[in-house]
Amino acid sequence: MGEQLDIVGKAVTDLELEEIEQLVSGALDAGEEPQAVLDAMCAGMGAVGGLFEEGEYFLADLVLAGEVMKDGLKVLEPHLEVDSMGKKGTVVLFTVKGDVHDIGKNLVGTMLSTSGFNVIDLGVDVPKEKVVDAVRDNSAQAVGMSVLLTSMVDSISDVVSALSAAGLRDNVKIAIGGACTTQQLADKMGVDALGRDAVEAVRIFESLCEQ
Amino acid sequence: MSGELAPGVHIIACATVAEELSRLGVARDRMIVLEFGLHMDPDELRKTLQASIDAIEGDDDILLGYGLCSYAVVGLKSRSHRLVIPMVQDCISLFLGSEEARMAMLEKEPGTYFLTKGWIEAPDSAYAEFKRLEERYGEQRARRVARAMLANYTRLALIDTGNYKMDEYRTFARAQAELLGLKFEEIPGSNRLLERMLSGDWDSEFQVVPPAATVAMPYLQGAQPPTP
Repeated sequence: MGEQLDIVGKAVTDLELEEIEQLVSGALDAGEEPQAVLDAMCAGMGAVGGLFEEGEYFLADLVLAGEVMKDGLKVLEPHLEVDSMGKKGTVVLFTVKGDVHDIGKNLVGTMLSTSGFNVIDLGVDVPKEKVVDAVRDNSAQAVGMSVLLTSMVDSISDVVSALSAAGLRDNVKIAIGGACTTQQLADKMGVDALGRDAVEAVRIFESLCEQ
Repeated sequence: MSGELAPGVHIIACATVAEELSRLGVARDRMIVLEFGLHMDPDELRKTLQASIDAIEGDDDILLGYGLCSYAVVGLKSRSHRLVIPMVQDCISLFLGSEEARMAMLEKEPGTYFLTKGWIEAPDSAYAEFKRLEERYGEQRARRVARAMLANYTRLALIDTGNYKMDEYRTFARAQAELLGLKFEEIPGSNRLLERMLSGDWDSEFQVVPPAATVAMPYLQGAQPPTP
């Protein structure tokens, strides 16, 4: 890896929000391939995930790293081939109807896209019909549902039923996450996996999309 | 107002709920008050609650000043005491007086960040968290992180439970709303549910768990008792 790429990757890992745009531009100007710059940024984000798992980084650090990625990608995206991301599969991600909590979901989105997934993020307070359309239109392999409020857990089974009714349930794997989710709930709601944090989510979707 | 707690009855409450209970007449030394920040980690909250329950001797009832709080209360038990828990999703429903009031509020504007005196004064309040972020990252990065975290919130609502003078908290909440780019509103709260808990008026809005039994997982939706 070239020196410029090392610097870009390290800037993501070190959460250098103010530096990242300039560093990405610098690497491109120095003749680095856009895809190589992207890979370096993703490697930097992977290191952030590792530091989080080791307890060195906190939730806010993950959020900040996501913002650093966002700013870097703003500069990089016009230079990238359209299909350079998303080789591992397409994941439809959203927070259930009635719930607007999305810190965790957004982190999962960032970690998945930087790990090579194509992420369709539907946002928050999402009705089940929208999920069904997104799964169908994008031929998604997996669905990631976030729910924090205990009063909204029924939305999980609503989505599962809607996907079944649309004849799509057999084509997609479903994972849930969020403060109020438990294995007991996952079993009861008929979903395929439960994730505890954004780093674990990558492993879960890798395994779900391989099946 | 009913602040008459029967003799012997114990209360374990979150700091935010204890704030309201004390205004309803419950002496501080009648309550075991736990840190507000525990709600961030449901497993940790459950362990702390269980340890607090286990440390109480005798067989008098224990009232929990909590909601379901991400199911942190599910699985709790006591060998010798009855446990009484309001069946609402969290303390916000307690401050608004019912789960129905909370759901109506969510329906109206899902992106509402609620505040009460207890939420404002907690050492791990959102504002205190922001100050910590500022210390860690400097102002620019801290704002960016806070905005990213609160991206879908549109409104900051200060709940007036009628238990304290609002002036000071209103000024603070307004400033916080401005800092985070949210519109500010003041909404009426209610002590109805907390008063019912204190007075022993436990119908379907409460789970009363006999000794040696375990707090069960309830399903809230579609099973709401009418609000009197």
